This record gives sequence, structure tokens and C-alpha cells, in this order.
Amino acid sequence: MPIRRLFVANRGEIALRILRSARAMGIETVLGVSAADREGAGPDAADRVVVLGPAPSAQSYLDARLIVHAARATGCDALHPGYGFLSEKPELARLCEEEGIAFVGPRPETIEALGDKMSARAMAIAAGVPTVPGTDHIADIASARKAAADLGYPVVMKASAGGGGRGMFKAATEAELDASFERASREAQAAFGDNRLYMERFVEAARHVEVQIVGDGEGGVLHFGERDCSVQRRYQKLIEEAPASAMPDALRARLHEAAIRICAHARYRNAGTVEFLYDVARQDIYFIEVNSRIQVEHPVSEEITGIDLIACQLKVAGGEALGLTQADIRPSGHAIEVRINAEDPFADFRPSPGRITGWEPPRGPGVRLDSHARAGYLVPPFYDSMIGKLIVHGHDRAQAIDRLLQAIAAFRLEGPRTTLPLAARILDHPDFRANTITTRWLEDRVLPGFAATAPAADA
Amino acid sequence: MNSPENAPKPVKPEDIEALVEVFQASDWDEMHLQVGDFEIFLSNDPKAMPPGATPAAAAIAAPAAAPANPAPAAAAAGAPTPAAPAAAPEDVPAHWQAVTAPNLGTFYRAPKPGAEPYCEVGQQVTEDTELCLIEVMKLFTALRGGINGTVRRICVKDGEMVEYGQPLFYIEPA
Repeated sequence: MPIRRLFVANRGEIALRILRSARAMGIETVLGVSAADREGAGPDAADRVVVLGPAPSAQSYLDARLIVHAARATGCDALHPGYGFLSEKPELARLCEEEGIAFVGPRPETIEALGDKMSARAMAIAAGVPTVPGTDHIADIASARKAAADLGYPVVMKASAGGGGRGMFKAATEAELDASFERASREAQAAFGDNRLYMERFVEAARHVEVQIVGDGEGGVLHFGERDCSVQRRYQKLIEEAPASAMPDALRARLHEAAIRICAHARYRNAGTVEFLYDVARQDIYFIEVNSRIQVEHPVSEEITGIDLIACQLKVAGGEALGLTQADIRPSGHAIEVRINAEDPFADFRPSPGRITGWEPPRGPGVRLDSHARAGYLVPPFYDSMIGKLIVHGHDRAQAIDRLLQAIAAFRLEGPRTTLPLAARILDHPDFRANTITTRWLEDRVLPGFAATAPAADA
Repeated sequence: MNSPENAPKPVKPEDIEALVEVFQASDWDEMHLQVGDFEIFLSNDPKAMPPGATPAAAAIAAPAAAPANPAPAAAAAGAPTPAAPAAAPEDVPAHWQAVTAPNLGTFYRAPKPGAEPYCEVGQQVTEDTELCLIEVMKLFTALRGGINGTVRRICVKDGEMVEYGQPLFYIEPA
């Protein structure tokens, strides 16, 4: 049954993004907000706004029972979790299912199975998808030493329950392994309440590539091309692009095929992203994980395919046919997105919340801005620092880079400091233009010395 | 917050609300913030004075929330709070205090269907008197008003959904 009234359980740009697609489809909307987000572009775009709780996320955006109660009490028949917050918590999907509310995402058991890295890896292996050579759970330092010797240094230790780089350590020697094993174990316990670790071979020159998919829940899976998100700082993506033009076509075909295979195997429902590590030296790909949500960087895939992925999500959740076959999805041109974070890249990325006093975004052909910000908007200090995403589409990568640089130069944004000056530096770097970067490039080659290039204080 | 070179902007009620929330969520004893002409001093100690300030300086005592409240944790929320957003209706005398919803939920006036309501208009209540139930997904939490006084108004009908910060009762302090 097509969705009639949608509850949006998120904030910021993604809430606004979802509200816009829902409205275009004639779906009524209810936005659940915290007291800090009562006003803004999101609330203005919703048919109804309900205040869930106070500003801290634990009492608002992270309280699944509160959110489902609100969705039910406002008569919603579907709920979109956005990204972050509860989007990948099986609890929210399960509560929705129990209350007869269509969850715009995968089944709770799929989220659960993919949320644990070990079980996701097992699923990939079962589906015949290549993974980084690695181990099962490692119980103690002696087994870790033996495993590392078998795999060959350098190795990386990861928390089984982890994500976002936490509980993750690289060891280039046995001495480093001894030191990092205890630390990784402790950090995993502290961060996730689970100290289990596993080990993988560390790929020296790696790029992060990922495939956008939408599954029908019955084993039918479409892909919407791949993205390259190799510009990262501390495992957080800063710039994303589509397609991954550094990758040869034959390998790209294998990448898409692997992503479809694992999602078909999981009978994956709704939108998801299959992440891979691209080993540039070996020209090989290894499965990393499936993100069972819409991602921050979905717009670059929308730009090259011309397809509204949020609308696809809402259709799948409403049991509607997408009316698409793989042949209908024909990527064209090149798209790049930069995240605009209210952080000072010249001062160790210190958060810079506060009121936006000047806001004149760039316009022009191929320029898109996904943002809830506007002049006078107060960036609250309670949540993540992203205030928007600037996206361009060009007929090729070189044109996209130039358009994005022009767009950043034309962006007048006053109040909080943002990461836009860093984005411009990256885009204009010869290595980025030559597309020879890896996931360590930003931290190894750009950030050291970047702070020294800060413009004189504009006091 | 704002970096120093940014010219201070007019402080809006939401800003103060946000600051009070930060303070409430923290384990700080006090918070003193000055931006241009605006100055705010928050403390858990009702007798506290801003550092170096004259007695006339604006001092907003933090609400008697978690720290001082001996009520069981499940029922500790919902003290009258300056975070309440909605301006009181015009016919509410200024000295009446609102008891607001601690979160979104369903409002129930009685412990169970058909039972006597927890309170009626005109009833004397103490800080620990239970005034209503707030239900979230079958989890019922009794709400205490945190005020000694007389119930003057019940703002919500039994079984209605209430939002965080919405006034539920007005109490005239004793």
C-alpha cells in the first residue's frame, strides 16, 4: 500500500531532503524534532512538527520508543529514519514492524546481521564476494601474533562491533601489535561494550569505493553505479564522487556484480550501500561492509543517474514497483559532493557552532545544495557538525572539479567556520586532479601544514 | 560557540533555552557566559551569585531538576522548567507556574481507565503529588509537579498526545 503519511525521524539536511521527496509524491509528512530544532527549513517543509523531547539526542532522536509512539499518535503509516541516529538500529525497525508502520529501510534482522562486521563478512563469503584476507575473532595476544605472521605485516585490528574507525588500529611490526592489541580491545569494550577483535591484512594503497543499491526484499537488486569516497580524515568522508573514474571498467563491472550478489543473497530490502576497499596495487576489490541506510553521499549517485533515491526508498517501503530495470539506470557525466561541516579546518577541526549571519549559496548549471541552513540559522552544538552538502554535476571529472571550485568561491557563508576552504584546497590539488589519491592521502599529504596556510584573522 | 571576532548577535529566547538545556544535561555546578552585552549565569545553588556581579545582575536559578529531586528516577522528570517554550495564555496570571511535559507521550489524568483522576482544579498539591501519567509505548510514567500550591488549570484532555515542553497544568504556588 503506498505511503499516505510519513514520519521523518531525523533532523538537518536529510530531514529536509526526505520531506521534499515525500511532498513531491503527495505524501503527508510529520517531522519529529528535539526542542533545539523546533524552527528551521525542516519544520517549515513538514505538514506537521512534533517536539519529541529536549535537545540532547538521547532524549529525542535516539529514543526509539518515543519516536514510534509519536509516529503512531500522529497517524503515520511509514517512518523514514534518515542516516545516523537510529537508522541502523534494529530496535527502531522492529518497533515499527510491531506497530504496523512501514520502516523505510531493511528488515530488522537484515540490519542486525549486517551491523555485526563478523556476520556481514560471513555473509559476503557465503555469497562468494571477496573480502580482505583476515581472521575470525582473536582471543589473545599470542593468537594475534600468529595471525599477523600468517597474513604478513602491516595488519589492522578492528572491533567486531565497531564502525567509523573507532576501535581500529594498524600495526606494522610485532611490537606495535603488542601495544595496539590491548588498546584496541579496551577501546572496543569502552565504545561498544564488546571487546571482540578481528584482524585483516592492511592494504597500503587503498581507495574507498562503494555501490549504491536498492533491493526489493525478494532478491531483486538494482545498482545505481559506484562512488569513490577516498578523501577521508579519521575514516570520515569529506568529499565523494561518482563514478569511481580511477577504476578500470572490467573491475567496475566486478564491483557492481559483487554488490548485487551480496544484497540478493541477503534478500535486501530498500536502499543500501555496499562498501569495498579498492587495492590499487593488486587491482582488486575487497568487501568492507553494507550500510543499511541512505547515505550522506547519495546525491552524487542521483546526479549521474537522474534518479531520486529517496523516492525509490519511499516506493519500496510502500510496496510499489520502482518501474525500473538495470538497463534504465544509465550513469552519465561526473558528480562531486563536498560536505560542509561547521568546523575550523585550520584549528584541528574544532567544532564551530553558532549563528549563520551570512548565507548566499552559489547557483548555476549543475550546482546543487542540500542544506537546511539559511541566514539567521543557529547551528546547535548538540549534533554532528554538518550544515550541508554542495554537489556539482559536470560532463566529466575535470569540469565537475572546476564547477565545484567556482561554486565554493562564490559561496558567501558567514558565522561559523566551515571546512569549505579545505575542500577547495583538496579539489585544486594536482594529486586530486590526477586522481591518484588513496584513503590516507588527505591525512598524509594535505593536512600536515594546512593550518599554516590559514588566512590572516578577519578580526 | 561564536568565535571572538564574530560580532555578537541579539540573543533569542531559543538561545537561552539551548544554554539551559546544555547546563541541565551537564554535571556542572555553574555556568557563566558573556557575549557582548548579554550575560547569563546558571547555578544549581539558589543562593549563588554571578562572579563579581552586583546583586542586580540577572541570575536564573537552574530548575530543581535531577540533582535535588529525591523522587524515583522514573518519575523524576517534568519539573517546571524554564525550557517551556509556549508563552502562557493571556488569562494566566504571571505567578502561576506551568508543569510541562518532560517528553512527547500520551497524557492520562487517572492511573487507569475509570479511576479517579490524580488531581482536579482547585486541589492542593505538594511537590511530590502525582498529577498525571505520560505514556510512551505502554510505558507509563507518573509525573510530579514539583510545586507546592493549588491546581488552577488542566490544559490537556485525557488521552491526548502531548509534546515535550507543552504546558499540562498551571499551579498557583502556595
